[in-house]
Amino acid sequence: MKLKFTVNRRATTLEVTGAERVIDLLRERLGLVGTKEGCGKGECGACTVLLDGSPVCSCLLLSSQVAGREITTIEGLSEGESLHPVQAAFAETGAVQCGFCTPGLVLSSAALLADIPAPSREQMKRALAGNLCRCTGYQKIFEAVELASRNMRREKRRRR
Amino acid sequence: MIDVTTYIRPGSLEEALDVLASGEFTPLAGGTDLIPHARGRGPRKMLDLSGLSLDRVTRTASSIEVGACATHSELCRDAVVTKALPLLSKAAALVGTKQVRNRGTLGGNVVNASPCADTVPALLNHDAVAVLVSKDARRKVPVEAFITGPYATCIGPNELLTSIVCEPLEKPTFVSFLKLGRRQAVNISRMSLAVCLMMDGKGSIKGARVSAGAVFPVARRMREVERLLAGESPSKRLFAEAGALAAQLMVKESGVRWSTPYKRPVLAALLERALAEAASGNFGEQ
Ligand SMILES: Cc1cc2nc3c(=O)[nH]c(=O)nc-3n(C[C@H](O)[C@H](O)[C@H](O)COP(=O)(O)OP(=O)(O)OC[C@H]3O[C@@H](n4cnc5c(N)ncnc54)[C@H](O)[C@@H]3O)c2cc1C
Repeated sequence: MKLKFTVNRRATTLEVTGAERVIDLLRERLGLVGTKEGCGKGECGACTVLLDGSPVCSCLLLSSQVAGREITTIEGLSEGESLHPVQAAFAETGAVQCGFCTPGLVLSSAALLADIPAPSREQMKRALAGNLCRCTGYQKIFEAVELASRNMRREKRRRR
Repeated sequence: MIDVTTYIRPGSLEEALDVLASGEFTPLAGGTDLIPHARGRGPRKMLDLSGLSLDRVTRTASSIEVGACATHSELCRDAVVTKALPLLSKAAALVGTKQVRNRGTLGGNVVNASPCADTVPALLNHDAVAVLVSKDARRKVPVEAFITGPYATCIGPNELLTSIVCEPLEKPTFVSFLKLGRRQAVNISRMSLAVCLMMDGKGSIKGARVSAGAVFPVARRMREVERLLAGESPSKRLFAEAGALAAQLMVKESGVRWSTPYKRPVLAALLERALAEAASGNFGEQ
């Protein structure tokens, strides 16, 4: 079948069987290797992408399930050379160690802040529970989300 | 990669039922149960339900019909569900992770029929009925009878679950839903309890509904406990008695296992807490 969908704001058409996993399409057909495969069972969140803005595991998604829909991967979050505020905050607070979980965590955090601009720690923990990090202990990650939240709200006030 | 030989995504229910009539296709909803298990299990023919618009919630005079493909995230958000079926939205909110709730569906949770499926105890308290449709027939089966064993239901290979019909409870009813897991956020239940206390005008319990998940081989109502509560006034002693009775039932039915010394006191305490939470009205009145 011909699969038409949007990847990182770009209309994309691919010839597919319908049963490929989306993570394989992204990495192998589209060269978007920022999306990582960890457990392959929906538990670790390394493969998180945004489907119409909501975080989902791309290892549990089949290609035909994204027909007509919009996918955002870590490559699509920044605007050209300028980083998304969540990416900048992860770098600034040192919320990155080995980096394998980072694309998924950044996308889940960005989706959270789009939904709840100033989340509590409890809300952060709940929103990020599906993204496992085995290096940082999460403390710096929460600090990064808080920093991004402050920066995004300040930017929004400035623009008004 | 997963092994799929044929993959179909029909755009209408009629077409989907035609395809299913062969008895060879496996329905695919959110895929959060199916896809992890489809890997390395040999080829399959899959029928993707995402084009069928089975995710609607509709309210009729006496009941609420929830489409089988409504996701857990939708059940947490939907205004009708959160107001009239708060147990169901709370149960859905406690499923897995954000990623899993965004994809996993009510229908998938029920048809997969894991003993720890979180929405099931909530559905049982609402006398939920599964609507099953095939090319030539349509039948309604109470969820309690639909699930026949761990990971087993009475659905036929040519049938689709299209919706689940729930009865809202008469007012005033106080409810609570508690889930116990290994860690707080992402979790497969070790135990879950759904409690409804229907009150009379004088502060006594007119009737109660109590369902347990991951306690018995199949999630079920604990009618013995419900009978104990009916007609009584809420008290710490009554709730402790109810907890003890639930623990007794579990041991009687599931036998003594390695986990029993842990589960017995924990179930008793959890039910006591769920009843106290419901009685306090903190969770919300329906
Ligand atoms: C990391 C992770 C954590 C999880 N945590 C929890 C948890 O805390 N609590 C919990 O209860 N579950 C949990 N689950 C299990 C799962 O997410 C849920 O059971 C979910 O509701 C399944 O729905 P689905 O749409 O993804 O089902 P699918 O995987 O699409 O389908 C499951 C089964 O149901 C059948 N089916 C689906 N829809 C229909 C239909 N309409 N008609 C007929 N047959 C149908 C399929 O053929 C398949 O056999 C978790 C899963 C993962 C991966």
